[in-house]
Amino acid sequence: MPGMNSGLSPDDPTVVAAFRSALLHQGAIALILLVFLIMIWATARTWRAAPGAQPEAGDAGATQGDEAQAGEAQAGEAGARAGESRGRWLLRTGFGTIWILDGILQAQPKMAAGLPSLVIEPTAASSPGWVQHLVNWGATVWSYHPIQAGAASVWIQVGIGAWLITAARGRWSRLAGLASVAWGLTVWVFGESFGGIFAPGLSWLTGAPGAVLLYVVAGALIALPEGGWLSPRLGRLLLAGLGLFFIGMAVLQAWPGRGFWQGTTHGQPGPLTAMVQSMASTHQPHFLSALLTQFGSFAAGNGFAVNLAVVIVLAALGAAFLTGRPRLVRYAMWFGVVFCLAVWVLVQDLGFLGGVGTDPNSMIPTILLFAAGYLALTPAPQQVPQTEEVQAETGTPAAAAAPGWSQRLRPRALGSALATASARSVAAFAAVAVIVLGAAPMASATVNRTADPILALAISGDSETLDIPAVAFQLTDQNGKAVTQASLRGKVVLLTFLDPVCTTDCPIIAQELKQAGTLLGAQDKDVMLVAVVANPTYRSTVFTQAFDRQEGLAAVPNWLYLTGSTSQLAALWRQYGVTVENLPAGAMSAHNDLVLVIDRSGEIRQELNADPGPATASTKSSFAVLLTQYARQALGGS
Amino acid sequence: MTASRAWARLALLGCASLGCASLLAGCGTQAAKVAATAPPPVTAPLSTSLVTAQGTWAIAVMGGPAASENNFWQLFVRPAAASKWSLVTPAGVADNGGLVATGAGSSLLVGFRPSQDLAFSPLAASADTGRNWSTGLLDADLANVPDAIAATPAGPELALLQDGSIERAPTASAAAAGLWSRLTTLSALAASAAGSRCGLAGVHAVSFGQNEAPVAAGSCVRRGVAGVFTEVGGTWRSAGLALPAAFGRDQVQVLGLAGTAAGSTVLMAAGHSLLAAWPDGARWSVSDPVAAGTVRASGFGTGGSAWLLLGGGRAETVAGPGRSWQALPAVPAGTATLAPGPGGSYEALAVAGSKLTVWRLGQGAWAAVQVIKVPIQYGSSS
Repeated sequence: MPGMNSGLSPDDPTVVAAFRSALLHQGAIALILLVFLIMIWATARTWRAAPGAQPEAGDAGATQGDEAQAGEAQAGEAGARAGESRGRWLLRTGFGTIWILDGILQAQPKMAAGLPSLVIEPTAASSPGWVQHLVNWGATVWSYHPIQAGAASVWIQVGIGAWLITAARGRWSRLAGLASVAWGLTVWVFGESFGGIFAPGLSWLTGAPGAVLLYVVAGALIALPEGGWLSPRLGRLLLAGLGLFFIGMAVLQAWPGRGFWQGTTHGQPGPLTAMVQSMASTHQPHFLSALLTQFGSFAAGNGFAVNLAVVIVLAALGAAFLTGRPRLVRYAMWFGVVFCLAVWVLVQDLGFLGGVGTDPNSMIPTILLFAAGYLALTPAPQQVPQTEEVQAETGTPAAAAAPGWSQRLRPRALGSALATASARSVAAFAAVAVIVLGAAPMASATVNRTADPILALAISGDSETLDIPAVAFQLTDQNGKAVTQASLRGKVVLLTFLDPVCTTDCPIIAQELKQAGTLLGAQDKDVMLVAVVANPTYRSTVFTQAFDRQEGLAAVPNWLYLTGSTSQLAALWRQYGVTVENLPAGAMSAHNDLVLVIDRSGEIRQELNADPGPATASTKSSFAVLLTQYARQALGGS
Repeated sequence: MTASRAWARLALLGCASLGCASLLAGCGTQAAKVAATAPPPVTAPLSTSLVTAQGTWAIAVMGGPAASENNFWQLFVRPAAASKWSLVTPAGVADNGGLVATGAGSSLLVGFRPSQDLAFSPLAASADTGRNWSTGLLDADLANVPDAIAATPAGPELALLQDGSIERAPTASAAAAGLWSRLTTLSALAASAAGSRCGLAGVHAVSFGQNEAPVAAGSCVRRGVAGVFTEVGGTWRSAGLALPAAFGRDQVQVLGLAGTAAGSTVLMAAGHSLLAAWPDGARWSVSDPVAAGTVRASGFGTGGSAWLLLGGGRAETVAGPGRSWQALPAVPAGTATLAPGPGGSYEALAVAGSKLTVWRLGQGAWAAVQVIKVPIQYGSSS
C-alpha cells in the first residue's frame, strides 16, 4: 500500500545513528529527571523530618490531606507486601516485565526505518482493504517520523512496564492498567493489523488473536477495582473467557479447508510447517534453529497428527477452564504451561529471535493470563479487603479521609505528599514521566503532516556547503521570456536540472520543489524555484510547458523552467558539473540530480544530491522539508 | 454449583465458542474466485511492422520484464533496397510505455506512450531512415494500440488517446508544436447515428481514408457489425463495411487500420475468426476467415497485404483483396513481429533479451540472416 513505509533500508546508517542518538538523548533526559525527582523527594523528606517544620494552624485541610496521602502510601507499601491478590500481582509484574522487554526490543537499530516495512506491512498484507487503509495511517505517521516514533515506542513501553511493576496498589496502579490497555490497543490495531483476525490463516499457534490483545486484557483486569480480585468470581470469569477462547481456537484449528491438517500440500509446506521453517531460517543460536528444523520436518511428515494433538489439547484446556473447578483447573494450568512453552519454543521461536521481533509473541502472555485466573480462583486465605487494610493502617475510613483536589494541589500539601510518598510511588511517577517523554514527541509527530528531514539526509548524504558565485547565464523561461542569472539577484534560488520528458526522477524533484515553496509560506515570495532543461533533444518551450502542466507548476508564480539552444544548455551543464547524455535503445536522457541553493547575492551556498531515492510519500515530503530549511538558512544568512 | 449445572454451562459456552470460531473462520477465509466464463477479448499488441517509402520499419519490445521497467521498445529499419536492419530507436525519451508509428509520406512519425510519471506523449519524426529525428508533442496519453497515430503526406495527423478520444493536428509542424485539437470523443462518436447503430464500445485504431478523411474503428456491442467510421464534413458516418451473414452472431473488434489511396485496409476479429477487409469502391471486399488465436503482433504491407503473428508459432498472411490467407511455416522461437521482406517474402524478428535475430523465409524454411545486439540500458528507468 502506498505510503506505508519510507522505502529506506532498515539498516540505513543515517537513520540508525539518528535513532541511537535520540534514544541516548532521551535516556539522558529520563535519567536527569529521575535524579531530580529523587533529590526533591529526599529534600522533602529531610524538610519534613526537620524539628521546625510543623504544620501551621491554618493548614488543617492540608494536614488532613497529608495524613490521608500518607495513609495511602503506607497502604500501597503494605499492599505490595501482602494485601494484593496473587493473580493481580502476577499479571502486573508479568506484563510489566513483558512491556519492558518489548520496549527494549523496540530499541533495535532496525526498528526506526524498518518497522513499517518489516513488521507492519507483512502483517497487513493479507488483511482486507479497510484494515490496510486504517493501518496505513499509522504506518505513514511512523514512516514520516521514524526517529520520533521509534524512540517514543521504546519509552512508552518501558514506562508502562515500570509503572505496572512499581505501582502496586490503588489509583496509580489501576491507571497503569488503563495505560496498558490504551497503548496495547494502539499497537494491536496499527502494529499487528488487529492481530490478523481479519486475514486468512488465523491460528492460535502463530499468535492469534495477537499477543498485544492479551496485554490489553491483562491491563483491563489490572484496572478493575481491587476488591474484585478478592473473590473467586473474577477468576472463574477469566478462566471461562479463556476456556471459550481455547475452544474457539480449537475449532479454527480443526476447520476443514484451512490447510492445518496437511503437513505439506502438493509438495508445498502447509501453514504450520511453513511458519516453523520460516522461523528456523532466521538468525538465531544454532541449537534453536536445529530444533525448529527438526520439528518442521516432523510437522511436514505428520501434519495430521500434529494438528490433531493441537486441537485436542486446546479443546481439553478450554473445557477444563470452563468448569471452574480449582482442582481440574490446576492440572490444566500446569499442562497448559508446558504445552504453551513447547509451542513458544517449537513454533513461535520465542517470538523475538531473528528479523525484528517486537514481542515474545502470545504464549507467555497466555500463560500469565490463565495462571492469574487460577490464582484468582483460589485466593490466599490471608488476603483481606483493601478498605479494611487502609482503615487498619490509618485508623480512619479511606473515603472519609480523602481531601478534595483543591486541597491536594496546594503547594504545602504537595510538598507533604511528596515527603510521605513511598519509594514505589516515586518510581511510578518517574515511569509516568518516561511515558510522557516518549508520548509528547510522538503526539507532535502525529499532527505534523511533513516528514522528518532525516529521510532526505539518509538518501542524499550531507549536503556540500559552498561559497562560490553562481554561473552567469541567459536562457528562456517557459513563457518565452529571457532570464539571466543577474535578474535573479535579490532572491534565494533553488536551482535544479530537469528533463521535461523524464519518466522517473525529474517529476518527483519538481514536486519536492513545489512542496518546498508551499512550506515556505510567506517567505515564498523571496525564493525562486528554478529548473534548467536537462535533455539535449526535447528541450523547447513546448516541452517545458507540457512538463509544467503535468506537474501543476504552470500557475506557481515563483517557478521558472529555463531552456535555450543546445550550446547554451551544454555550457551551463558543463559549468555546473551536470552530465547530460542521450542514452541509446529507448532509455531516457541521463543526468545527475542536484539542487543548488543560491543566496540573494548570487553565491552558491549549498549543493544537495537530489536523487529522490525510493520516492515514497515520506521521502518526497522529507526532501521538501530539507529544501525549505536550506532556503530559510539562505534567506537568513544573506 | 452441581456437576450437572457445570456441564450444562460448559456445553452452552462451547456452542457459543463454536459459533464465534465459525464466524472467524468465515471472516478469515478468502472467498473462492468466481470463474470467468466470458472469452478474453482479442487485442492487438504494439509489436508491428510497416512499410513506407523509406523502407520497412519494425517495432518490438526487448530487455526484461515490464514490472521492473526493463522493457524497452525498439524501432528497427531496413531501408528500401537494403538487406540489413538497423536499430534506429529515437533517443531522449524512455519508451517503456511503448512505441507507435505511422508512415507520413516520406517520413516516419513515432509516438512514445507515457509511462511511470510521464503523462504526455512525446513524438519524433524522421525523413532519413532514422538517422535524424525532429521532435513533437501530443499533450495527452496515446492509446495502447499499434494504430494510435496516423498521418498523411500533406500534413494532417490523427492521434487516438487512451480514453478513446481522437485529436487532430492540421499540419506536421502543428503536431511538432503540440497544437492538437479534439476531433471527437468516444462518447460523441458512440452517440452519433453511426456509432449508436453499432453500439460503439471502444475505438482501437485511426487512419486516413480517401481524400484524407479521418477514419476510426473499434468494437461494437451489436453483433455482426464492424465499427468502422469516417468523418466527412464534421459528421461521423459508417464506412459501410458489412460482414458476411455467417458472422451475424459474432462481436466484431477491429485490430488494425492501414490507410491506402483507395481507403483503409482493416484487420478484425469476429468471434473465433480473424478477417481482413479492403474497400472496393462503395463496397468492401472481405477475406475468408482464419482461425483466431492469441494475437502476438499484426501489421500491413504494400498492396493491401496484411499479416498476423499468432500464438503457438502460427503466422498467417494475406496478399491483398480477393486473396486467401496463407499460413507461414512455424515461426522461430522468440519471434516478436513479422515484416514484409525482400522479394515478397517475410522476415521474422525474434527477440531474446537484448539480442534480435532476423530470420528470412525462403524455400519454405526460416533462415537466420542477421543478429543485432541492442545496448539495452537496464535499470535506467527504475
